[in-house]
Amino acid sequence: MATPAAGLLTGCAMGGDDDDSGGESANQGDKTAEDPFGVKADAPLEVVIFNGGYGEEYAKAHEAMYNEKYPNAKITHSATQEISKTLQPRFVDGSPPDVVNNSGAGQIDQGSLVAQGALADLNELLEAPSLDIPGKKVGDTLLPGVVDVGSYDGKFHVLNISYTAYGIWYSQKLFADRGWQYPKTWDEHIALCRTIKAAGIAPWTYAGKHPRYMSWPVISTAIKLGGLDVAKNIDNLEPNAWKSDAMKQSADAWYQIVKDQFILPGTPGLDHVQSQTEWCRGKAALISCGSWIENEQKKVTPEGFNMAIAPTPSLGAGDKLPFEAIRGTAGEPFIVPAKAKNVPGGLEYFRTVLSMRGAKDFTQKVSALSVVAGAADGATLPPGLSTVVKALDASGTNGFNWVYNNYYRKLERELVDAACGEFFSGRISPTEFLDQCQKGADMIASDSSLKKYKRA
Amino acid sequence: MTIVESPSSTEAPAPSADRPLRREWGVANVFSHGFLLLWALLTTLPLLWVVLSSFKDDNEILTDPWGLPGALRFENWQRAWTEAHIGRYFLNSIIVVSGSLSLTMLFGATAAYVFARYDFRFKQVFYYLFVGGMMFPVFLALVPLFFVVRNAGLFGTWRGLILVYAAYSLPFTVFFLTAFFRTLPQTVAEAALIDGCGHFRLFFRVMLPMARPGLISVAIFNFLGQWNQFILPQVLMQGDDSRWVLAQGLSALAVSQGYQGDFSGLFAGLTIAMLPVLGVYVLFQRQIQSGLTAGQLK
Amino acid sequence: MRHGKYPLIITFLVPPLILYGVFVLSPYLQAFQISTTDWLGYSTDANSVGLDNFVQLFKDDYVWNAIKNNAILLVLVPVLTITLGLFFATMLNMGGRGGRAGVVGVRGTGAYRLVYFFPQVLSVVIIAVIWQQVYHPNAGILNAALEPFGVNGPSWLGDPRTAFWCVLAVMVWSNVGFYVVLFGAAMQAIPKDIYEAVLLDGASRAVMLRRITIPLLWDTVQVAWIYLAIAALDGFILVQLMTNGGPNFSSDVIGLRMYNTAFASDTKFGYASAIGVVMFFLTLSVAVLALRASRRDRIEFS
Repeated sequence: MATPAAGLLTGCAMGGDDDDSGGESANQGDKTAEDPFGVKADAPLEVVIFNGGYGEEYAKAHEAMYNEKYPNAKITHSATQEISKTLQPRFVDGSPPDVVNNSGAGQIDQGSLVAQGALADLNELLEAPSLDIPGKKVGDTLLPGVVDVGSYDGKFHVLNISYTAYGIWYSQKLFADRGWQYPKTWDEHIALCRTIKAAGIAPWTYAGKHPRYMSWPVISTAIKLGGLDVAKNIDNLEPNAWKSDAMKQSADAWYQIVKDQFILPGTPGLDHVQSQTEWCRGKAALISCGSWIENEQKKVTPEGFNMAIAPTPSLGAGDKLPFEAIRGTAGEPFIVPAKAKNVPGGLEYFRTVLSMRGAKDFTQKVSALSVVAGAADGATLPPGLSTVVKALDASGTNGFNWVYNNYYRKLERELVDAACGEFFSGRISPTEFLDQCQKGADMIASDSSLKKYKRA
Repeated sequence: MTIVESPSSTEAPAPSADRPLRREWGVANVFSHGFLLLWALLTTLPLLWVVLSSFKDDNEILTDPWGLPGALRFENWQRAWTEAHIGRYFLNSIIVVSGSLSLTMLFGATAAYVFARYDFRFKQVFYYLFVGGMMFPVFLALVPLFFVVRNAGLFGTWRGLILVYAAYSLPFTVFFLTAFFRTLPQTVAEAALIDGCGHFRLFFRVMLPMARPGLISVAIFNFLGQWNQFILPQVLMQGDDSRWVLAQGLSALAVSQGYQGDFSGLFAGLTIAMLPVLGVYVLFQRQIQSGLTAGQLK
Repeated sequence: MRHGKYPLIITFLVPPLILYGVFVLSPYLQAFQISTTDWLGYSTDANSVGLDNFVQLFKDDYVWNAIKNNAILLVLVPVLTITLGLFFATMLNMGGRGGRAGVVGVRGTGAYRLVYFFPQVLSVVIIAVIWQQVYHPNAGILNAALEPFGVNGPSWLGDPRTAFWCVLAVMVWSNVGFYVVLFGAAMQAIPKDIYEAVLLDGASRAVMLRRITIPLLWDTVQVAWIYLAIAALDGFILVQLMTNGGPNFSSDVIGLRMYNTAFASDTKFGYASAIGVVMFFLTLSVAVLALRASRRDRIEFS
């Protein structure tokens, strides 16, 4: 059994050959106008998809489109939920796939990947002409913020392909039946909560096991009050960014739904699907989520439920941003590893995904907005998604976003998450909540093994 | 003092030596019986619940988890078998585990036999080397293991998985069987040796058959462990899911339930995975117990 | 007559040793080596940092929090499991009213024995899914059972005060069955004459248990303790599936901390391996201590 023994000797995880990965992909062809990345026509392409809420059918469709242009390119497609566990060793030994849908709970920390130089620079993609939108470069066809969200220190490394709005969701049917109006101001909001509670329904619920879902309205409220700098400071790990005046006022305001027991009892023990299901069953009226909720709850949403998204209510007249301002960001990240064998192919695949045809197909298959502007025009959208489009339109240039969760995955997913859990279960006060968040941010800031990024 | 007597106390009065015993256990008996029953419920109800849920549809599961299913929806089972590929994973598991179980038993038994009945230099070192493996947290080794397997050209193959399963099952197997072999009588062995029986023949013809109960026991434990193993295949059998094993597929199914919400399929899949193992246990429970017992007898 | 033994020893020992060495020992040794670097896991960039990771580990509050939880598991899981195991084994082997024979199980022993082992055969995934539903604050059976008593159950897995204990309970639940069988088998091995002699002398069952059964079972209890201790120090899959260490790290265990550091929230492989090394030494120490503390003479039946 010589091979295992040989394996033993050369099996060192880090003794592998460190070939010069200076970007020269094994399959680099000549770059032409038709083929801006220099894709070799018969070079194989490997695509790994995260098999989550969107499934993998949309990706297979995109691959088929790629094959139309390059029929001789063999595409290997696979789907998994454990992206980091399954792909991590391949990154190390220099044989990663060409395209990775780095998403889900098993997502590899993107900030870390960038810091280790593991991702290809996607700038070429932005500069290339769009596949089927005449006269425009790919970068120009994208909705605002898409490039921002995927950029680290000015370099574009992560392509997010679905545009997501984050807000507060409610059932239009429920509200219409009861004669309720979605509140535009905070006072209206609290008054409505009282009314809802009196009607025997819990005004609020949230994903108890992932309490960071509630961090989104808190931060949104603060941004609308204090302006975009509130987000920027948090993203840039400025000292005391979490304890700014705007954040304080927001936390104090949101504390009221805890104090006055407007939250569905038992919520802290529910995961996202369970809480959303309670909401679908009419046990709670309001929930914080992103636009994926419609797809996720497809199977249990009752007929005519008519879910709709809405922005957070405005705290006061002094708000820097109007009520309609909502958080719009790009999600569903895709990357091309720097050491992939077919980097040009990966870029071309992305160009296919971002074509108008690819975008429309995506929307039609997964009921989510594509990041390509105008892709949803003229399409019949399910109820929730059409309210998302309306909300984004109304929000217009006032839309805001934050990216600290992309830079430092641990901060949102573990530290802020834990703080929110304590806060919304009523175990800590608003001040303690912000303190805990700040402590988490400080910990990240002082961790020298984490590369720091600045938001432009 | 009122004692709650159980029905069996109406039997004919026993000799005086027994009477004090019975009274002493009266009250305690109700409590004990109650507790026994409670635990039995605790171990069966959850399983029953999974089986029942496998017949419900998603709506019923989420909105009425503890009620009875509206209809016997075998289509859930069919969906789990085909779409969620549970059927395929099932067969894969059978192939892989048959292989790894055989290898484990072969290597485990031979190594344990040597430790139990022979003396040689460094014996204790080797023994503790094997047994110490029980203390290692498995995924400390995951990443290096990936490279070892890959460099040996065994990545994504069942051969590789079988070898790895067997390797990681050796610590427990060696530990258990060594103790077991030690209890086998010396006399038979010595007699056989004096009669001119070679060491190999001694092992295969005499000792191994005597050790059957212990072997069966440890085989069953290994079967359970290997059947339910999913971290190793997750790392070593990536990509093409046609080669996945059952536990791995189940884990993926459970995780995806968090995203796609096919709960009924999940429960059907869990049931399909659960029932055969339960079946094996029910059929072989005598062997398990006699195997454990045998280790104690002279 | 012992000369001929070496061919056998070599044939029987070397293949397993090679298999074990390649697939188990070698990766672990590499893991030890990785723990002395600052490897981040996705490139071949790794610089030796000596024992820095370990120094950092000692200052890491999250790691100590996890170790604290493991310590609690270490004490409680064996105690509870063994106690329950012994209790049930006794009932199923000696608890019955067997008249003169005196040592049979209660009625229904066969069924009980069958059923108690069920949790053992289940995959951890199944166990986690089942218990998550049981603990569900609104639709779960636990709170439903408490309602008639007017008790408003907490959110169990969502409450940092209860989450950890809920997981502990599941650990005990899934292990008891095995020990019922193990202890039962050991009890069966005790010659009945010992019991009969004692019974004739008028001893009560409690005395029998204390003076005879337990001492004779001591070896088995010892082994059980070590297995359970090892399980308590590991147990990360169950925790991950049920609570992922939350809420607020209240149910974090060291195995999970290591996994998260390597694969999830951080990607610090060097540091994670250091945690793993610490885990290994902890487990080793516990096992050695347990062995020494309970060392007693083996009782032989002549």
